[in-house]
Amino acid sequence: MARWGMVIDLEKCTGCQACTTACQMENNRLPGENWQDVLFYNEGEYPSGKLTWLPRPCMHCENPSCVAVCPTKATYKTEDGAVLINWERCIGCKYCMIACPYGVRFYAEEKQKTQPDIRKVYPGDSGKMWNPPYRMPEHKRNLKWGVGVQPKGVVSKCNFCYHRISQAPKGTPDLDPNDPKLRDFTPACVVTCAPTARYFGDLDNPKSKVRQLIAEKRGVRLQDQTGNRPQVYYLAGEAATIPETRSVRRKQS
Amino acid sequence: MNIATLTTRSGLPLLDFNSRPDPTSAFMMLAGAIAGGIGLAAVFINLFLDGHAAFNTSSDMAWGAPIAYYLFFLLTSSGLTIIASLDTVFGLRTFYPIAKRCVWLAIITLVAGFTILALELGHPFRMLWAMPTALQIYSPMWWMGALYSIDLVLLCVKFYLLHTENWNSRLTHHLSIVSFVVCILAPGTLGLVFGMMAMRPAWYSPVMPMYFILTGFMSAVAFVVFFTSLLRRENSAAAVVREHRRADEQLLHLYDMVLPRLFFVTLLAVIAMRVGQIITGLWSNYEGMEAHWKALESPLFHIEIWAGFILPAALMSTNALRANPKMQLLASVLFMVGIFSARLELLIVGQQVPLFKGYWADYVEYTPSFTEWMLVPAGFGIFLFLYGAGNWLLRLSESRVPERLPEPAH
Ligand code: SF4
Ligand code: SF4
Repeated sequence: MARWGMVIDLEKCTGCQACTTACQMENNRLPGENWQDVLFYNEGEYPSGKLTWLPRPCMHCENPSCVAVCPTKATYKTEDGAVLINWERCIGCKYCMIACPYGVRFYAEEKQKTQPDIRKVYPGDSGKMWNPPYRMPEHKRNLKWGVGVQPKGVVSKCNFCYHRISQAPKGTPDLDPNDPKLRDFTPACVVTCAPTARYFGDLDNPKSKVRQLIAEKRGVRLQDQTGNRPQVYYLAGEAATIPETRSVRRKQS
Repeated sequence: MNIATLTTRSGLPLLDFNSRPDPTSAFMMLAGAIAGGIGLAAVFINLFLDGHAAFNTSSDMAWGAPIAYYLFFLLTSSGLTIIASLDTVFGLRTFYPIAKRCVWLAIITLVAGFTILALELGHPFRMLWAMPTALQIYSPMWWMGALYSIDLVLLCVKFYLLHTENWNSRLTHHLSIVSFVVCILAPGTLGLVFGMMAMRPAWYSPVMPMYFILTGFMSAVAFVVFFTSLLRRENSAAAVVREHRRADEQLLHLYDMVLPRLFFVTLLAVIAMRVGQIITGLWSNYEGMEAHWKALESPLFHIEIWAGFILPAALMSTNALRANPKMQLLASVLFMVGIFSARLELLIVGQQVPLFKGYWADYVEYTPSFTEWMLVPAGFGIFLFLYGAGNWLLRLSESRVPERLPEPAH
């Protein structure tokens, strides 16, 4: 059984947010609720200050705290390594949002940051939160995987495009978007990334490119002190840095 | 079967419809019905129109005021069960006269808390099957749900036993022991829900369960002091005797000495614990702990510390002050307001520093929305209505008949 993981090369990433947009389209996200987002950081001060950034999907942790806290087992880890939410079990208690150290989860029923509220412009029916004019075909929607337009009252997050990767031929070491046979099974953000900063493959397969990159280019996991052990690795190389990820810095007096 | 005609063993009516409600109970029922009605109506209408977008919570501040109210009621309930157990488990005779009242208060605070929770969850009804079938033993919330459900059932049975004059039976004693254990475990696991979250450093603490049990006990003492000082508005021993239908030195001792002292000493313990938390928070450099500095700017923090802790401690600091029902009333109200702010402050502190949202994100700001505020009259309305009704129909001042007292259990 594969154990899917992602590698993001920060030397190649331009912070263009194409992945964010691709994810929005693929997964019918509400504005601002970016399952995949790019975070920006200021480092240092003028004249040596610089801007750094970090693309951030769900880390699909090996040891996911969101799974452990979920009182209904709505959030679960699949055999092939993805962390999914079963929208038929989720009670919207939001404990997983408290417990995820990477802040990747969203509760759909919150005040929209942009107006008009798009959910009121395209009101949902048959249990859907809204009815986006362009949306994933109905046969791909799978509530047990947390795939498709979201129902009301549940939490959502990146599912590694499980509707795509779960269809990949067994034993594939890497889902390479440049291979026409595999393109449809590759996560949307990986397919769309123009500088090919994203790699997706089987972390347990010794032949996979992702494994090779992690080993040769010293892949790191973020916030490793949490013990969550992400399955998304970052490569900083020589030209990039992993930003100091602290969001609020108290003034030193 | 007409419920109005059912009686207990000694022929007392199960529900005392024949007596007229005293003015205080009648007022409470009326005020409770009005506040609860308005609050619930406002919440239902807004939830119907906007769903949970009617709340000011967000993906960064996922748990807001409703969870704070819920904490307030549930922890108070557990504290009340502890007080009731001082009599029924540990045989402390002094507490007999308030045992039954405490059990009733514990039940209705749970009901108010659960109602608020149901309005906060995305799918409250789904919870009824999804939690029992999940058996997710790694989730502190799962344990919390299980223990509080057991707690409610045990309290109802215990109240029924006391109400049907089974004060001295073996069953009551054993049930009280189980209920006591559960009412320690339940707020303890609720403490774990917050205290185990290492990714939320401002909450992460192995003493969080102890803090919840202690502050729950303290708010229970404040509730009891409040409601018993209401009984004695006339500030006379006669009122107590009339209420309990017997003259008893012990009763006055309980109201004038024991409860206010318990209030004072417990409050000192709460203050000591809180000071420890604050100093650790301000000193630490760990990411997330800067929220403690931010808290200093919040009025909630100052209401908690000055109005809720320091002032009541001063008001209860001498024997003369402690024996004065007006001071008792004031101190208990102040503490309740303070601990109410403290619950909300706790919720905010843990989430104020956003997790992993980039350097462009700042402290998460949060003030409850109108709908969230309306949960306050909703919760307290339900509570007051049920308390008034209990006071009228359920003989809450009743206690064990003195001559049948056994020796305190060892
Ligand atoms: S990143 Fe968060 S949501 Fe994703 S698996 Fe890890 S803990 Fe769960
Ligand atoms: S909000 Fe849903 S997925 Fe998250 S912990 Fe609660 S039940 Fe589980």
